[in-house]
Amino acid sequence: MKHISITAVLLIVFGSAYASVTFQTVTLPNPQSDKVVVKMMFSNGSMSDPKGMEGLTQLTASLMLDGGTGKYTATDIKAMTYPWAARWYSTVDKEVTVFTFEFHKDHADQMLSIMTGLVISPAFSESDYKRIKSNQENYINEVIRSSSDEDLSKYALESFLFRDTRYAHPVGGTTQGLTNITLEEVIRYHKTNFTTRNLMLGIAGAYSDPYLLKLQDALMKLPDTSPNMVQPVIARNPKGLQVEIITKQSTLGSAIFAGFPLEITRSQDEFAALMVANSWLGEHRKSYSRLYQKIREQRSMNYGDYTYIEWYENGGSNMLPQPGYPRKSNYFSIWLRPVQTAGALKSQYPELKEIKIGHAHFALRMALRELQTMVEKGMTQEDFELTRDFLRSYTKLYIQTPAKQLGFLMDSRFYGRNDFIAELDVMLERLTVDEVNAAIKNHWQSNNMFISIVTDKTEAEPLKESLMNGLRSPMTYSDALRATLSPEILAEDEEVSNFPMQATSVEIISDQSLFR
Amino acid sequence: MKKHTILTILFLALASSLFGQNILPYQIHQKKLPNGLNVVAIPYPSPGVASFHIVVRVGSRDEVEKGKTGFAHFFEHMMFRGTERYSKEQYSNALKATGASANANTSLDRTVYHMTGSAKFLDKMFELEADRFMNLKYSVQDFKTEAGAVKGEYTKNNASPYTRLYEAVNNTAFDKHTYKHTTMGFYEDIVAMPDQYDFSLKFFERYYRPEYCTILVVGDVEPGQVFGLAMTHFGEWKKGSYTQTIPVEPPANGTRKVNVKAEKFPPYLDLKFRGPAFSLLNNDYQALALLGQLLTSEKSDLYKDMVMTERVARSINGGIFPTRDPYLFSLSASLTNASDFPKVKKRFLDAVAKYQSTPVSETDLSSAKDRIRYSFALSMDNPDAIANSVGQFIWLTGNPESLNSSYQLLQSVTPDDIMRVAKKYLVAEGMTIGTISPTDNPVID
Repeated sequence: MKHISITAVLLIVFGSAYASVTFQTVTLPNPQSDKVVVKMMFSNGSMSDPKGMEGLTQLTASLMLDGGTGKYTATDIKAMTYPWAARWYSTVDKEVTVFTFEFHKDHADQMLSIMTGLVISPAFSESDYKRIKSNQENYINEVIRSSSDEDLSKYALESFLFRDTRYAHPVGGTTQGLTNITLEEVIRYHKTNFTTRNLMLGIAGAYSDPYLLKLQDALMKLPDTSPNMVQPVIARNPKGLQVEIITKQSTLGSAIFAGFPLEITRSQDEFAALMVANSWLGEHRKSYSRLYQKIREQRSMNYGDYTYIEWYENGGSNMLPQPGYPRKSNYFSIWLRPVQTAGALKSQYPELKEIKIGHAHFALRMALRELQTMVEKGMTQEDFELTRDFLRSYTKLYIQTPAKQLGFLMDSRFYGRNDFIAELDVMLERLTVDEVNAAIKNHWQSNNMFISIVTDKTEAEPLKESLMNGLRSPMTYSDALRATLSPEILAEDEEVSNFPMQATSVEIISDQSLFR
Repeated sequence: MKKHTILTILFLALASSLFGQNILPYQIHQKKLPNGLNVVAIPYPSPGVASFHIVVRVGSRDEVEKGKTGFAHFFEHMMFRGTERYSKEQYSNALKATGASANANTSLDRTVYHMTGSAKFLDKMFELEADRFMNLKYSVQDFKTEAGAVKGEYTKNNASPYTRLYEAVNNTAFDKHTYKHTTMGFYEDIVAMPDQYDFSLKFFERYYRPEYCTILVVGDVEPGQVFGLAMTHFGEWKKGSYTQTIPVEPPANGTRKVNVKAEKFPPYLDLKFRGPAFSLLNNDYQALALLGQLLTSEKSDLYKDMVMTERVARSINGGIFPTRDPYLFSLSASLTNASDFPKVKKRFLDAVAKYQSTPVSETDLSSAKDRIRYSFALSMDNPDAIANSVGQFIWLTGNPESLNSSYQLLQSVTPDDIMRVAKKYLVAEGMTIGTISPTDNPVID
């Protein structure tokens, strides 16, 4: 069996042959492929939205890719490309916007003019503007607060961490921000914020050198002006445990996200050490992590419990991290998927009819206690080796497709690296348990944290009282389950329920008040 | 002139490769072990990486006993609870040591266990999977505990009105067939799951048998190596004898309606029609797959009118989900205003009526076929994606080669076939109208 890495098979070339091309190009030619992937990363994300026009970057990006060009209407383009199954989409994050185009090599020539037309000379018709803006408003005003409680808790945490900064709002914007935007603003923003000066081009798959040169030449027609680059802000430092409870009219669970700022990103080698610690404590969707074992596996409280040391896009659907969301401003977070509310438990088990709050307080206590234990004791040599070796294999799965590989390479450039995944393997190989434990002490703590809880309105007041007063929070099992649990589990429950944890502030807000 | 000739030949060569007999450009190697376990290997140039799937042909369709809905999915969770040889902690650590991305999922007709990782750990993957498929053992405590995690999954899903509508529509559209309940199961059955330990042993005994399973390995592997490992690790697995009888749904008896009330949420219309099971005996399923494209793709008249021009809908979708028994063809729209329910419903039905009475042009039909084939070709760029595509046909028919057969049938669909299936299946008699609306009783007609 061969053990050649994908990276070695696909030749990587950086830079362009043309001196006249001023933007950086990342290339991954693969003549054996039938597919071409083009990515354009503009260092221009939602934090660049002008104050009072939150959502402008995403609206502009959507209108660029889902509107027409000077030559074709949006309907023409959809009809023309339909049989090719070509697809393109924009992803807007806080600091970058990425346009991705994927198509069969049979249609590369036609796609060249469509791609460049959409990005350089979008039609910006009034009709497309109204359609796309209405959809974005609908998302911010209704969908974001009504579809997924756990996603809502994640966005609420970002709003809490970055309050009153350009980083706080969802990339889709705010109700008022979207109302203030006009088509003229979109057109102006396209000219000023999507230029050759903040572009990185990436291309992978079955393309030729002349094709790339044509693409580069065409993109040089973007304005050659420097956008007014906004600097990323640092998240606020929480003072103790600051909690916001977001209430919903009717929900079965309490969805929890908690976090605090981190000063480290993929740019620093120490990030590899923190990746090992994070993987052991809360690797995304992995049953072998500590929080998952304690909260889900042993106590059956929810569907999963994870921790993060950087933004993880759409964790509810993605099993592996996605490229295209690099950030200089970073934070640590804990994700506890919805645990049962008192109302849900009472409806299922008559023996729990007296309880006032569900599992939220206990689950939070357990997570903070595990984090504190890790900060105090660090990892053992045995856990370190198993987790480090796991990551050395697992991170190679991040780049299984040409699009993913290209995306991670472009993210690497954002962080000032050549190839983060390849470099990570070397860093992990050289890592020691002492370095991991030092990184934990350098960057983690459990006393100061912002905590967002989305829950049923009937749960809010009792939960607030419990959190503010640091009340004991006994775990409430059904009688049938309690009867089967080991004395060790029950003893640990007792310790957790008394773990010192008192919030410094708890605010109750309605889900309808967010992102306005 | 000569240059043009060469280009033409090149194009024809490419076209014949893309539009040839087989949609899957990789060879499928297949071997059935004496105990009935099917083993499939598909070598694919993914240096050092392989995807290992086990497709079990059991899903929520098989949950015929009252009070046992959601059990196939629950049992998928139990498969991670260890054996005598590997406790759940040892299993977790052994899996972690492979560095693989591993998980499982359950649907109407099947349960799939999958891991993608370094091909050098293929032997270990086989060992771990064989051990739990043949020797699963868990305590009553583990069983009761895992039931809470399933409830947690239901709880997170239930926050979405779309999930609640899906649950309500299936419950309304079917009377007897087990597609009446979703794969998650009815909430009351999920709450009662901790009491079903004895049934779980029976469930394992029935379905986790070689004749229900196919091992599928895609990636940097040799077929001989895969077959050898299968024989080594699964050769002793004892064949079972259980067969399930699935209740047959009686004929449709008129249009049904169901509504999910959700204030401050986009109104949604979902028209469901009784459709056929996936089959290779005729091209009804394939024709309906194309009709879904013709009706609601971004090239369709409905999309142009309702989404792009009039903006009465934010998005529209349509098509048929492949299933072992007759299921549902869907036409759905996210609406701008709830007052447009009657208008959007009429537009859908008028468009259906057009395809029932007027043959689609050869150009439009060909365009939809091209779309499906190119879409498939573009998605085949990693071992897991290939395994998922091939796996679908394994759970539908038991034979991975049916992927290629199905695409050949798709190519055979004519304008008359489109008219025929539109008239046969898209009728008011078998329609269920689902809505998400800010009110309890939305006006739809």
